[in-house]
Amino acid sequence: MSNRDYLGEFEHIVLLAVLRLDDQAYGVTVRREIEVRTKREVSIGAIYATLDRLEAKGYVQSRPGDPTPERGGRSKRFFRVTAPGVSAIHRTHRAIRSLAEGLDLLGSRL
Amino acid sequence: MRRPAPHTRPPSIAAWLVSLFGSADQAESILGDLEEEFSDIASKSAAASARRWYWRQSLKTIAQLAGAGVRNAPWPLAGLVLAGFLLQWFSTGLPEGVIVAILRTQRPYSNLHYDFYISFLTYGFPIAGDIQSILLGCLVAAFARQREVIATTALSFLGGASIGLLFFDASGHWSRFAYSWPFPIVQLINQLAIVLGGVIVREIRLALRKGCHEHDFNWTDK
Repeated sequence: MSNRDYLGEFEHIVLLAVLRLDDQAYGVTVRREIEVRTKREVSIGAIYATLDRLEAKGYVQSRPGDPTPERGGRSKRFFRVTAPGVSAIHRTHRAIRSLAEGLDLLGSRL
Repeated sequence: MRRPAPHTRPPSIAAWLVSLFGSADQAESILGDLEEEFSDIASKSAAASARRWYWRQSLKTIAQLAGAGVRNAPWPLAGLVLAGFLLQWFSTGLPEGVIVAILRTQRPYSNLHYDFYISFLTYGFPIAGDIQSILLGCLVAAFARQREVIATTALSFLGGASIGLLFFDASGHWSRFAYSWPFPIVQLINQLAIVLGGVIVREIRLALRKGCHEHDFNWTDK
């Protein structure tokens, strides 16, 4: 991945949620974490579409879990953020901080 | 955790629709996640609201998976849909030609099978058109690995849009096609038959994959 590749807004949110959940990050927990923290309703499909894109970029890795009865015998897919993923988060944070520097956001008309 | 009673099982049609989009592995994880959350909601609130939640999530998920399927490989998919459209365009009239050729050789109208001849002419053309569309859908889906239903749905929309143009004449008014009522219905069914072809190929692939997994499981079990 290029050093100038920044995360999209939702990619950023999903990566941070996976980081927060550590080794318990799978579709359900990621979706709930995002809903609780951002008060934004998201679909499972949106989570997976984003995680698959992040996995293709090398920012996350996935591994299958064991099938469980409450999931109709289907297995979970656990995700974890890779080192390039953490670098992408830092890069995006730095870019946002740099853009926000010197702006009086609290005193603005928003 | 205890599984919900049969009447609180997730809507099977919604689950089936989700399984048609995305890769087989993706569908496995997504359906598992949806069922886990459905069980949780059904245990805390009414079954009807859990089912509504499941349907809402399923439809959003299908839209997301279809969008991601297009974004991940836009050019191969566009090429495949265009090839299918051209094949459909150039094979227009082929089933009718086959039926007329059969009628010419069998000559059913020259003997006591006149009623059969009339029925054949009345229903034979649309049925042959539907079979042609199913085969076209199967062919396109065979080349669209993991995106069978996305490719055939896109092809049916493209075909539907091109037929829709026939409903207007050069001055932008309704053409005579729009008023010959069986025509729009027959064309609509033809477009749905293309998607049906995609669903058939998808289901066959899923069944083969499941069969392979069960075979592997039995093998390792021994």
